[in-house]
Formats: sequence, structure tokens, C-alpha cells
Amino acid sequence: MKIENINIPLMISGNLIENINLNDNYYRMRIKAPQIARKAKPGQFVMLSMWKNKDPFLKRPFSFYGIESDSGTFDILYKEIGKGTQIMAKSKAGDLVELIGPLGNGFKIPENTNNIAVVARGIGIAALMPLILESKKRGIAIYAFLSAQTGNLLLCSNEINSISEKVFYTTDDGSKGAKGMVTNFLQNVLKEEVIDVVYVCGSKRLTKHIRNLQRKYNFLAFVSLEEHMACGIGACKGCVHKTNDGYKRVCKEGPIFPVEEVIFDD
Amino acid sequence: MTKEVSLEVDLGPLHLKNPIMPASGTFDIRCTLLNQKELNRLGAILPKSIAFQEREGNPGPRICETDCGLLNAVGVPSKGVEYFIKEELPLLKKANNTIIVSLMGNSIPDFCNLAGYLNENKEISALEINLSCPNLNNGILFGVNQDKLYELIFNIKKNTSKPIIAKLSPNVSDIREMALTAKNAGAQIITVANTLMGMAIDVDKQVFRLGNTMGGLSGPAIRPIVVRMIWEIAQSVDIPIIGVGGVYCAENAIEMLLAGASAVQIGSANFFNPHVMLEVIEGIEKYLIKKKYNSIQDIIGLMKN
Repeated sequence: MKIENINIPLMISGNLIENINLNDNYYRMRIKAPQIARKAKPGQFVMLSMWKNKDPFLKRPFSFYGIESDSGTFDILYKEIGKGTQIMAKSKAGDLVELIGPLGNGFKIPENTNNIAVVARGIGIAALMPLILESKKRGIAIYAFLSAQTGNLLLCSNEINSISEKVFYTTDDGSKGAKGMVTNFLQNVLKEEVIDVVYVCGSKRLTKHIRNLQRKYNFLAFVSLEEHMACGIGACKGCVHKTNDGYKRVCKEGPIFPVEEVIFDD
Repeated sequence: MTKEVSLEVDLGPLHLKNPIMPASGTFDIRCTLLNQKELNRLGAILPKSIAFQEREGNPGPRICETDCGLLNAVGVPSKGVEYFIKEELPLLKKANNTIIVSLMGNSIPDFCNLAGYLNENKEISALEINLSCPNLNNGILFGVNQDKLYELIFNIKKNTSKPIIAKLSPNVSDIREMALTAKNAGAQIITVANTLMGMAIDVDKQVFRLGNTMGGLSGPAIRPIVVRMIWEIAQSVDIPIIGVGGVYCAENAIEMLLAGASAVQIGSANFFNPHVMLEVIEGIEKYLIKKKYNSIQDIIGLMKN
């Protein structure tokens, strides 16, 4: 039969283990849901709700920020921004979390990869973190290029510092690292050495820069895309992104796409 | 508890084991969380509208959550009828023995070709005509213009022997007239109703929230409007009704049955709860047992003037 039985996502309830305010309106949430944590792969995501009375109406997608299959937990990183995340920010350990997952295709790390570059803007780092940890486990060298509005929004920088070969920062206000485009640093590295794979998340502008660098330096590059989603499982066709091969569903064919396939209109 | 209650419903030529089925565009056999046994419990199965030729659908953003609802401007992407018959229909056939296929076309000949093409497929139990997709150039036209509606249904009937379900647009001043017109043109069943036309604007960026500017509103926000429309039609036009709009629990579905619907579709609720259709079937059964009815037929259209 042609139905993808093995990869059918699960709809289950999880338990909120902890919900920590990192700074400003950024939070990290740890959820116990062993069936999902054991299947989750870097780059995948869950649909989540912890609200009653259909308000908000839909679940929300969150990338796996941490995956602990042994303890059956996973982490997500989120910014308190709207109705849903406001409810999440107020939630406490022990609260019930409705989940569908794991969803999406996840990152590929090609065989014989010696080094990778991760390029993230703001909370985009969340989707890349499990990839960074997996790469570290495989002995792959990591170059991190992190950008944010201000220094305090360079999330997880300590953790990334401790496991990366080199870390480059830029902030819009120059409060940490340099001002300007973090991809300029990537270009400087590319002039000196070969980078096998570049992974990017959190900014269309950065992704377009990666595409330009890719044309010049010829490396593999993948982007984790974000779109508003209704179902997360591929049914509603709502979360499409334009590609060389027509519209593709970010939740099903993605969220990870080869950078050269993705088309940005603006 | 022994289950002695019957959930079987008749909609003119269609006989269903229970009244619950997905609304078009909210269910995909290739990515459902329901297993074969669960899919077989549905009253019918109804995939997203198909077009004769492959079509891409609208540019993004295609969806926008609103208060108690969802605006969409997906625009009926379809891989075309040949793909549907080859790749999708065999999966649907294994899942459920009542398959209703929703048809989308840009013109009367377009709809007629599609209906004719599908007529020989014995697996298909009925055709639902998407008269009112708000995301197509001409789609809304058939749904809001009585003459066009009549002409379309009348011509489709000439090309198929299958039961015709007219899915009406709610974007009209008197839904009863549209129901009567559909009936007079030969529709045996009507679905009430498609999404309501809506719009949302991002005031910070000062842009439309949907790529297609306007879209269709679904979800709990529209349910009272649909319940009223079902009831109005049930009082004046003799035609079986499938109710749809904002149902997310058994109570919502029962409300539509009491108003006069013989079957109920579930749409955007599938997005946040992929098990909702099964929960609604169980909930209706419990309600009937609790209220000591022998058959669901006893509550259909119970609310009179």
C-alpha cells in the first residue's frame, strides 16, 4: 500500500515540564511527550495548542529546539507575540499540551560532511540547534553566523560558542559583534576554505544572500522556511511557498528546502 | 451499553451509514492521521475539489486565522482529473465505500467535461458541485446568480447519471431562492453552505493578510449563520440538506440536524483536531441514546416554526 504508515504523525497530549523566560519576551518550554520525542529529528516541528474554547482557533507550529529521546522530552523556543503565545507564556509546569508531531521532512546531513555553516537570524536559531548538536556528535566542524536586532536577542550564544569552531555575531544596533550583514563574515570564510553545507533559518534576506554566495562558491545549502499553517499535516494546502517546481507545502514537502529551489518574490 | 440506535441517513438517492463527512478541501487521503478502520467509520469521504486540468492555486499567504475562525484563499490547487483517478481514487476506495467527489470548473463546459469524465467510475457515489469557491474568477458567479446556477446544474445533469449535490454560496440575500433554483435545475441534494467572503488587513504593514486579497471565512464564527440558512431552507424547499460551517463537536452537528440538515460536513475543525469527525459520530450516538431515540431520523428537522 502506498500510504506512508511509518511516518504518520501522532496526535497526543504532552505535559509541560518547565517554561522559562529567557529574556524580554522569549521563552523556552520543555514538554514531556515520549512518543513524539523518540521519533523527532532535527529540522522537524510540532503543532501545539494549550488553549480551550477554540480561542485561538488553530494550533501553532514550533520547531524542535531540543530533543531528548532518553527522557522523552523536547524543547521549543518561542516569542510571546500574539494570543497563542501569550497563553503559553502564562502556562506552568504540569499543564497539558495538545500536540501533533513530529511533522515535516527534517534536515539532511550528507555523508562525508566535514564542516557546516549555520546562519540564523533571531529566533531562527531554534530550528538549527538540534542540527548543530547532531553535527557535533558526528564530529563535524561548525561555523556559526548569528544575527539579531540587539545583543540580548542573540539567543543560545553561550551554548553555540562552546561547541562551534568559530562564531560570528552581528547586531542591527551594534550592541554585540559587528553591525551589518552576518553573511559578509561567511563570505570571508568561504574565500579561505571550503564549507560543505550551509543551513539557514529566520530571514528571507539572509537566505537570498546565501543563494548569491552559493552561486559563487558552490556549496550545498538548505533553508528552514516558516509560514502560517492551519493543519501542519499537509491537508489544507495553506502554507505553500513558491519554488522552481511550483508551490510546495512548507509543512509536508518542507520545512527544509534546498536554497536554490526556493523563490522569493520581493 | 448495547448500541441500538441507528445513525443511518437518506439524502434522496444517497444512503449513508451516518451523517458525518469531511468538508471539501479540509481532508487529504494522502496525509490523514486516521487509519483505514477509522476512515471506514465516516458516513462518506470527500476529497478536495478537483479540476479537469492541473492548477496551481493562489499565491501565499493563503490562510489567516481570525477571531473564532479562519480565512482562506487557497484557490483550489488540483493535480487534474487523470491524476485523481489514477492516484487518489484507489486510496479513497479502500478507505470508505461512499465517495463524494467535489468538482471545480471555470465554465459550464468545464464542469460538464469533468462530470462526463467521471460518470463511468462506479466507485464515485455522488458529485458535489463547488458553485461558490470565492477564490476563483468565475466561481462565485454560479453561486450568486440564479440563472447561471440553473444553467450550470441543468447542463451538468445531461453529462452524468450520478446524484448531484449543489454546494451553495452563503453570499446571497436569500439562500432559499438559490436552493429552489438548484432543485428545479435537477440537483438532488444541496450543501449549505460554502465559506463567507471576507478580508483581513495587517494594519502595521498596511497590507492584505491574504495573497488573493479576499478569501472565504470558515470556523465557529459562521455557524449561527449556517444554522439559520439550513432552517430557512428546510421550512420552504423540499430537498435533502448537508450542513457545513464551523462544526467542531457533536453538539454543533446536532444543532444542524435539528435545524433540518440530514448530514453534516466538518471542515476547518479537522485542522486542529484530525480526530474530530470520529468524536462527533460518537457524540451524536450518545445524544440519541441519552434522549431515548431509536434513530437519528427522529431528530432531523425537529425544529419547526
